[in-house]
Amino acid sequence: MIEVKSLVKEFRIHQTRPGLGGAIRDLFRREYKTVKAVDHVTFSVEEGEMFALIGENGAGKSTTIKMMTGILTPTGGEIIINGYVPYQEREKYVRSIGVVFGQRSQLWWDLSPLESFRLLKSIYKVEEAAANAWLDRLIEELDIGSFVNQPVRKLSLGQRMRCEVAAALIHKPKLLFLDEPTVGLDVLVKQKIRDFLRNLNETEKTTILLTTHDVTDIEALCKRVLVMDKGKLIFDGKLAELKEKWGSGTEILFQFRARTTPDQLRAALGDLPCELIRENEYAIRVKIQRSQEMLPYVLSTVMSTFEVSDVKMSEASTEDIVRNIYSTDSEVAAHE
Amino acid sequence: MVQIVRLFGEYLGQYFKTKLSYRANFLSELIGNLVFEFINMIFILVVFRHVATMKDWTRDEIIFIYGFFQVPYALFAMFFNFWDFNERYIIRGEMDRILTRPVNNLAQVCLESVAPDRIFSLLTGLLIMGYAAFQLKLSFAWYDLPVFLILVISSALIYAGVYTAIAAISFFSDSRTGIAPMIWNIQNYGRYPVNVYNKAIQILLTWILPFAFVGVYPAAYFLRRETWYFYTMLTPVMGIVFFCIGLTVWKMGVRKYSGAGS
Amino acid sequence: MSKLYAELIRIRFLTMLAYRVNYYSGIIIYNINIGAYYFLWGAIYGGQPQLGGLSPEQMTAYVAISWMSRAFYFNNIDQEIAQDVREGKVAIEMIRPYNYLSVKAAQALGEGMFRLFFFAIPGILLVSLFIPFHFPTSLQTWGLYLTSLLLAFVINTEINLLTGVLTFFLFRNEGIMWAKRVMVDLLSGVTLPISFFPGWAQALLAFLPFQAINYYPSMIFAGAAGADKAAQVLLLQALWIFVLLVPIALLWRQAKQKLVVQGG
Repeated sequence: MIEVKSLVKEFRIHQTRPGLGGAIRDLFRREYKTVKAVDHVTFSVEEGEMFALIGENGAGKSTTIKMMTGILTPTGGEIIINGYVPYQEREKYVRSIGVVFGQRSQLWWDLSPLESFRLLKSIYKVEEAAANAWLDRLIEELDIGSFVNQPVRKLSLGQRMRCEVAAALIHKPKLLFLDEPTVGLDVLVKQKIRDFLRNLNETEKTTILLTTHDVTDIEALCKRVLVMDKGKLIFDGKLAELKEKWGSGTEILFQFRARTTPDQLRAALGDLPCELIRENEYAIRVKIQRSQEMLPYVLSTVMSTFEVSDVKMSEASTEDIVRNIYSTDSEVAAHE
Repeated sequence: MVQIVRLFGEYLGQYFKTKLSYRANFLSELIGNLVFEFINMIFILVVFRHVATMKDWTRDEIIFIYGFFQVPYALFAMFFNFWDFNERYIIRGEMDRILTRPVNNLAQVCLESVAPDRIFSLLTGLLIMGYAAFQLKLSFAWYDLPVFLILVISSALIYAGVYTAIAAISFFSDSRTGIAPMIWNIQNYGRYPVNVYNKAIQILLTWILPFAFVGVYPAAYFLRRETWYFYTMLTPVMGIVFFCIGLTVWKMGVRKYSGAGS
Repeated sequence: MSKLYAELIRIRFLTMLAYRVNYYSGIIIYNINIGAYYFLWGAIYGGQPQLGGLSPEQMTAYVAISWMSRAFYFNNIDQEIAQDVREGKVAIEMIRPYNYLSVKAAQALGEGMFRLFFFAIPGILLVSLFIPFHFPTSLQTWGLYLTSLLLAFVINTEINLLTGVLTFFLFRNEGIMWAKRVMVDLLSGVTLPISFFPGWAQALLAFLPFQAINYYPSMIFAGAAGADKAAQVLLLQALWIFVLLVPIALLWRQAKQKLVVQGG
């Protein structure tokens, strides 16, 4: 459904010179620098997938989304979505997609969302009866019926955002782009939007692409995650794999009945790659990298050798992982 | 095209719904327009207190040209409101939204800012023309009406072409307010007969920013000034040519915006 | 505090410089404006030696200089204030440790200086190549003109602040601001020297501040006002500056109260 092959986007950025003299020189001649915003990105997506594109600010997420929605033309590479090349057959292509830009409104500020929906129906030339049934369903499932008649400027951010989602879906697109859809929303509204999206994906087989800063969005919605850094795609896979690759592993805190030193524990575990940290005289923290294989061994060995009074295990959260990725140099990460 | 016409109706409906919620602004814009036209009339009236003719044009002829000048401008301004194009669509990024919708992007931008209240300017223009025609005892034949319509539409197309091209400059430059207000300044010289200016300005107003074709050239036909008939007949040609130029620059601009133009 | 305002002026000056398309087109269009009016007046004079007390040469100087003066005093701070009010930014401005209106005035001065140095002066030099145009020869006239111009800037800025602050009460008044702009151009004498108006209109205008914005400085420059007259004119301008402060102060106090009550 989505085929992206070694996609490249370069920008020329105007460099301002400092001070008054610089400003005057800028009037006559400007200096430019070429920046690779997206650098040979390749991936493909099946129909009905729900996936997230994450990365720091400036990693190239928005540029990628803009190329996928037909707003920007790539410098190089190929995109084919729903059988179209977005930037070449834009007006035909955009009928098959819906876009929600979290920061920008689709709705007319002075009018009620219902009026905006009406206009959008004409813009997308949708068939009246079917569109009305579909709209009724959107209104019900997004729970926006109670304020859909008020002017947009009087709505709260959460109310408006749900209307934005409905507006993007008026024409029943097969593919939905959501650019930072939950920024600044409270937990309940986030939950409502997520439930709605999950249901939409299940019943209509709508493919959903999400860019976000909010890790909980990904955990709630997406099995698949793409991570971009400095224009490159540095990870493409399941959320679980992401955790394994960048997660700081599993930590096990053993509480012993007798005084135990890390040396004693090391002797028992042999040369197993793990880190031992002494919490106090009775407690030792064991850090291991790949949890699936080593965890049973560590547990059984320690339990059988020492008298253990308590065991606590903790796994790194996705949020920690993402922080981990961003703080790692991309070069290192890419060649790992 | 059919869809655009239908959409126009829809947008018009929305326009009235919006405007009704800002009655004070509607009124204030109306006052602004009236004051502007009133002041232009004052200039003409005050100047002709001191002289009998300007070059070879009498006061009432100048007033007639001024009245005609209002009509195509009002028609143009009803559909093209590009004054805040840069601010709204480029800086605030609304162009992205336009591009993700399946309707011609220029048509969308126009439709989003239709201003049917310009009909008032159109009416005052007709009124001023009517007054001057009465004073000048002009007579009209039946075919003057279709000629009038053709000339007005052609003049409106000239405006549309010029301002579309200028709005499209926003795609290439990061300039904040753009040059539209300044072009607007030049446009206002089209309401006086071009032969009062020197050769260079006449050429500018005829061929480069052809604002003589929105006032004196077409109006000369109704004043029966045969020396200018050639330019009167040229008006529809200029309208089409400049509108096409506007569309071309716009298309180039959109290509540049989407990063394919550089 | 004065360091803050100097910085504001400098920043606005640099901001204006950053928009180069505006800059290039600005110079061209100033010339076109001056040129077009020059020819329009040429056609109006049509060989007559004097109209409204001005010879064709004085008229030429008047047209050029009235546009040059306008470049300096003209600004859109009323529209900026209106935008701040509409977008609710004004509430934030209120809690900053400075006076909002003075900040706007300082920004206007930065903009005016930019236009004077980069539009008007190159513009007028260019125009003087094509149009017979005499600069005043005496240093005294230059001094009087520049003083008068500065006072004109203050008066025009005060009027803009006044219409700007009105947005607090009217919310959307773009049309009124636009009407004000063309009114100021007419009544201050940019489009038409005041001496052209009929007697009753001149008498009426004498009681309004508008001709202090353009007509006075331009007449000094064109040499149509002697030293005595010039001193009188400067005094009148200073008077208007103080008179206009009263409605601004009153409206501003009301506006602040309104803001406190309604929260913007």
